[in-house]
Amino acid sequence: MITEQAEVERRAVERIVLGAFGELTGRRSEPLRYAMMDDTPVGVLGLASGGRGLRHLSYVRDEDAFLQRLLEEHGDVPLLRTASLDDVRRALERYFAGKRLDFDIPVDLSDLPAFQQRVLDATARIPAGRVATYSEVAARAGSPRASRAAGNALHVNPVAIVVPCHRVLRADGSLGGYGGGVRIKEWLLAHEGVRPASL
Amino acid sequence: MPDRAAHRIAVLLAKHGEELARHVRRMVRDDDAAQDILQDTMIRAHGALARLPAGANTRAWLYRIATNVSLNHLRSRSRERAALRRHAAERDAAADPQVDGQLPSDDGERETLWLSVARLPERQRLALTLRIVDELDYEEIASRLGGTAAGARANVYQATKKLRLGVDPR
Repeated sequence: MITEQAEVERRAVERIVLGAFGELTGRRSEPLRYAMMDDTPVGVLGLASGGRGLRHLSYVRDEDAFLQRLLEEHGDVPLLRTASLDDVRRALERYFAGKRLDFDIPVDLSDLPAFQQRVLDATARIPAGRVATYSEVAARAGSPRASRAAGNALHVNPVAIVVPCHRVLRADGSLGGYGGGVRIKEWLLAHEGVRPASL
Repeated sequence: MPDRAAHRIAVLLAKHGEELARHVRRMVRDDDAAQDILQDTMIRAHGALARLPAGANTRAWLYRIATNVSLNHLRSRSRERAALRRHAAERDAAADPQVDGQLPSDDGERETLWLSVARLPERQRLALTLRIVDELDYEEIASRLGGTAAGARANVYQATKKLRLGVDPR
């Protein structure tokens, strides 16, 4: 079968690239597979996934900038451009089209500090159309006094949109900050039908 | 290897490694050789990257290196095989004078083809290999090598005419 042959070729090609990467850099870690989404309503997005789920969904200038960031963060891990992130891509397309605003895709946060993981887990449970405050998220993460740290943990959320840190606002209803820029936060909330007090 | 070099190579491999590996593997039909050639391509590319003028087509440039390294590999493999064939022929001739030592095979024909491809002008050589090895259409060849689809078609046409290949240039 043609598809089977294509799969054999794909695997052989991947082995060759990873083999060359290992020989040239001396690093043989698990590869990150990445893909770019160039025309979204919020600009260019870079997606990257390890074996256990999505690890990055980032606002980036372009592919080179995304690769630089991945390599800096992961220390020259092998990167493979892939079509296998199609499920994430499709989920994002549905989101931007307004057809389904919640995500049901595996996310891998296991590399992050435990506190940040708890904050992001709590954030992931805020449904579309709802918002929470930084101190509420801190409380749900088990650290009610750590709203400032929760804000910082959210600011460097590696998996934007899918872990909806844009749904976390200040206690007075104002937007607070956003890693991708406050205008994108505003756009995402409006897209989900939320009108924060400050808007 | 210093980290910055590893970094640059990681970026090149991420962006172009897969398509180059596929191209090289289809040319040399040997995974180990393909990895060796990809590594060699990356080392050459890394050495020359700093000298590449701004705005140069990195992708086309990498294809050029990878194709030329592959052709060199095929040429030396062809020489090795020819030597083996001569050797076998001499031995067989000594044992049995009826055997004339000719061992035509698909591999042999392929090698002859590649030796002729290696002698084509560079643009024709690159366009033809992408056409017959990777089975790309002219738009795609142009996107990898730079230039236009019409130019790619003309290069493939000239190459097939020179080689008198039965490749349909349409």
